[in-house]
Amino acid sequence: MNGRVGVTAAGVISAIGAGIESFGCNLESGAVAAAESERFPGVTVAEIKCFDPQPWLGSKGIRVLDRSARLLAVAAKMALDDAGLSQENSETGDPSLGLVCGTVFGSLHSISSFDWSGLQEGPNWVNPTEFANTVINAPAGQAAIKHKLRGVNSTVCAGVASGLFAIDYAAEFLRFGRARALLAGGVEELCEESVCGFTKTGAISPSGTARPFAANRDGVVPGEGSALLMLEPEEVAAERGRIPWLEILGFGFSQDAHAICEFDLHGDGATEALRQALENSGIAPEQVACIVSSASGSPRGDAMEARALERVFGGCLSEIPICAPKAAFGEAMGASGAFCAIVAGLSLQRQAIPPTAGFVQQESSRLRLSSTSLPVSGEYALVNAFGCDGNNASLVIRLWKI
Amino acid sequence: MKRVAVTGIGVITPIGSGRETFWSGLLAGVSGIRQVTSFDTSVYKVHIGAEVQGFDPKPYLHRLEAAIMGRASQMAVAAARMALADAGLEPERLDRKRTGVSMGTTSGEPLFVEQYNRIRNTAGVDAVPAEILSRYPCHVIPTHIAIELEIHGPCLTIPTACAAGNYAIGYGFDAIRTGRADMMLSGGADAFSQITYMGFSRLGAIAPERCQPFDRDRKGMVPGEGAAVLVLEPLDKAKARGATIYAEVLGYGVSCDSHHMTAAHPTGDGAIRAMTAAMKESNISKEDVNYISAHGTGTPTNDRVESLAVSTLFGSLAPKVPMSSIKSMLGHTMGAASAMEAAACSLALSTGWVPPTINHENPDPEYDLDYVPNKARKIDPRIVLNNAYAFGGNNASLCLARVEG
Repeated sequence: MNGRVGVTAAGVISAIGAGIESFGCNLESGAVAAAESERFPGVTVAEIKCFDPQPWLGSKGIRVLDRSARLLAVAAKMALDDAGLSQENSETGDPSLGLVCGTVFGSLHSISSFDWSGLQEGPNWVNPTEFANTVINAPAGQAAIKHKLRGVNSTVCAGVASGLFAIDYAAEFLRFGRARALLAGGVEELCEESVCGFTKTGAISPSGTARPFAANRDGVVPGEGSALLMLEPEEVAAERGRIPWLEILGFGFSQDAHAICEFDLHGDGATEALRQALENSGIAPEQVACIVSSASGSPRGDAMEARALERVFGGCLSEIPICAPKAAFGEAMGASGAFCAIVAGLSLQRQAIPPTAGFVQQESSRLRLSSTSLPVSGEYALVNAFGCDGNNASLVIRLWKI
Repeated sequence: MKRVAVTGIGVITPIGSGRETFWSGLLAGVSGIRQVTSFDTSVYKVHIGAEVQGFDPKPYLHRLEAAIMGRASQMAVAAARMALADAGLEPERLDRKRTGVSMGTTSGEPLFVEQYNRIRNTAGVDAVPAEILSRYPCHVIPTHIAIELEIHGPCLTIPTACAAGNYAIGYGFDAIRTGRADMMLSGGADAFSQITYMGFSRLGAIAPERCQPFDRDRKGMVPGEGAAVLVLEPLDKAKARGATIYAEVLGYGVSCDSHHMTAAHPTGDGAIRAMTAAMKESNISKEDVNYISAHGTGTPTNDRVESLAVSTLFGSLAPKVPMSSIKSMLGHTMGAASAMEAAACSLALSTGWVPPTINHENPDPEYDLDYVPNKARKIDPRIVLNNAYAFGGNNASLCLARVEG
């Protein structure tokens, strides 16, 4: 039950690049995906332009997958290939290989489109095969069929913290011996319904620029994509002759129980999540080598995270390099936590944390962010995911040590 | 690891609310299936559903306002408050940081999607109120419970469609036994929706008159709604505080068919693996299983595959294991279904009675199984399995046991 769980591979498709290499390089160079969108006129979003799953998935059986399912299946394909666990040549697929997917809006566009066609055409004329895509776990189910994943197939929803909750959920399943290898992370697609939600609630940045922790921040840039980590227990990876890239350490969580769609400025919940993650990793705050922040440019959300970080890290906070990568790939909701976990892994590996695009340091701030890359020295990286509905999660990872 | 007890049951169902009404109704064979009233079904070929009648959320809401919540959230909060009361616990005295909530659902709050599209259709998207979409994501269901009860432990939704209740209870079970939480409110909730009704109707899956699981002449399932929440806590703590212990959760098993989004694997492969995994984790063998709460939707395919899976797995023992489907009475309450069934399993273990499969007139000649036709039976089960299967090829079986003395 207390076995170590490692990350042996990862797949990522985001508005700043597909594949770990391209994702990492573009972050490093300060790329920003926010742009005017043809799909959503008049709104600035961080979307995956001209997304075509064919290079990864071929064309067979793709038509029935909605955008979320396609994004998730692409990330899964990358991670399975990278891990050497592709089931393409297996007739039946592996019953000990599974998928745990975090999401916020899930299949919203598919369910809304299905409802809309019922309204327009009448309920007796809708396409019954589209009904299958309306359930919130449809992307996970479709990806399992596509890649022959027969082990646990779960979907986990905890707002912006969904991706980290999915990683923890999968790690626990592995510790219980319920699977041998699990893809874990999240997916989110931009759709007219979610963009409408971001716009109407005023969460979206009117300037079209996500400026995490900046004094003049004015909201989030909605993003999309998918990221999955391949998690394996130490002994399973060893049997396969694989040395993991990262180790999953302590997880921390809490629910503010404050309100829907309003960050709790007190930051008690975020503080609790941070403290638990450190405690469950058996480390002190000063041992954290870098922090990948959940900050998205939200006026309240960023203030809440800053406050929680100050409470937990105190005087050593100004020493720890922080990156808020949502400046680059936007607030990708269910995919954000897994995106940020990959950023943390890359930062440890390269001993440098990527820039927070466009960041301008303020004298008063004790947060060590930079518009250029910052050196990282030390063992542990902390990843945060704090959502506006009070869902908070923090995760500590490190490079795998033999 | 800690042993995990079920000490409270809260249910809002098509046959009534609260543990006592629910259980006496199930044992008496009361059906909650009626003509649909929440929307006009005249364009459909079928007209029945299992709606919750006359539900008023207000008595259960002390902090939240019903007007800003979806129906699934309202029923979930009510079920959570009922479950705590049933467990003899006062919400004000909970250890707030150590109490969490995990909920399953199929569709979350689909009525907001319906509102969005109807406003868009008549007045354009500009007329859509801001809060509609922010109240939609399914994690709002447990979040509303957390806000209402001011609890800060793990809080999430596991929307694994019609097996979601079992997944959510499984999560709660894990959280308690590993010591992540000292109390979990775990279950499921779904609201009756035109979208769901339209989908099942177009699949030709809805029965015209009644739900007859495992009957030779079964004609389909009946969409339903409701919420069920169980209070889970460490068995030793439950005993120490003198709580009524309905059952112990022994373990659970999950699998994915990886075969088809809406149709079960023809050999019952995933169902067999989920039951096998649940028994293995619970450290029991086939001989130990005294009752199976079937997924039993009433569709020709589901019931055939489930009967096949049970027959294959249990072999010569299969005819001797009573297996009933309470969906014959409750309809298919989607993400809440397996949570209601887990509640029924817990009550079967604590009372000794198992509920019947009603409307069962002509047994399916293909299988020689005991579906507990039409009449409740006293069998004093010690160990039971709760099966749930879902879109996406998800299967989950939960194993519960009687707690002696």
